[in-house]
Amino acid sequence: MSESVELKISLPKIPDIELVALEGLQRLASHLGISDDKIGEAKILATEAIINALEHAGVDELPVDIVFTMTKKRLIIFVQDYGKGFQPDSVEEPIIEKKLGTNKKRGWGLKLMRTMSDDITIESDEHGTKITLIKNLA
Amino acid sequence: MSTDFHLDSVVQDDCLVIRTFGYVNNMGGKEIVKCFNEGFDHGLTKIVINLAESKVVNSIGISYLLEIIEKLMDKKGKLVFTNLEPAIEKTFSIMGLFHFAEHAATEETAIAKMGE
Repeated sequence: MSESVELKISLPKIPDIELVALEGLQRLASHLGISDDKIGEAKILATEAIINALEHAGVDELPVDIVFTMTKKRLIIFVQDYGKGFQPDSVEEPIIEKKLGTNKKRGWGLKLMRTMSDDITIESDEHGTKITLIKNLA
Repeated sequence: MSTDFHLDSVVQDDCLVIRTFGYVNNMGGKEIVKCFNEGFDHGLTKIVINLAESKVVNSIGISYLLEIIEKLMDKKGKLVFTNLEPAIEKTFSIMGLFHFAEHAATEETAIAKMGE
């Protein structure tokens, strides 16, 4: 059976705290002998999920909880915030041509997560949001 | 993993070459745009952004670069990114940046593209 390693982190809302999670992700990959090029997209996914949670949760005092579960073949990224929630289906698909010339140039996180992951599950209600991303590494 | 963002820049063959170091987050994105604006205000419209030393980016930081694309479109300028990590190149591709900018392996090939 393939070895599975897990890392749980609770992140406070302070600038660039997502880099702490990325360090942990890198360490898990190194432990399993997974090369940097295979986890590059996983780092993007983790970054986007975490900054999305930190930015949009709507609460400063509550942490964002992260769980990385990694084998040589697969990474599961779980990100949970305790904010006000959102409706994923109501998020407009960003298109660069529509962004240019406007003041609303942000809003790419969900598109990146949906496109770059192998699977994504979003559960959100008024008590918070849980995002689970799966990235195949093999 | 470097967290402190900084950059340097040089003008070469009429091109503004911006080299970034560290995490391109919102502050990093703003710094790149500020450096671009200083060159743009002096008439430079051929821009190379070398991300060799930026291994981590986020979409908020990259969204600031759309301001550069807007200004260059107005002046028929050109933007070329170089030394992109594969995951960062894919991020740019998903966001559609390569509809309005190009990418090259090195600064030298980017500068050569400016004449095309």
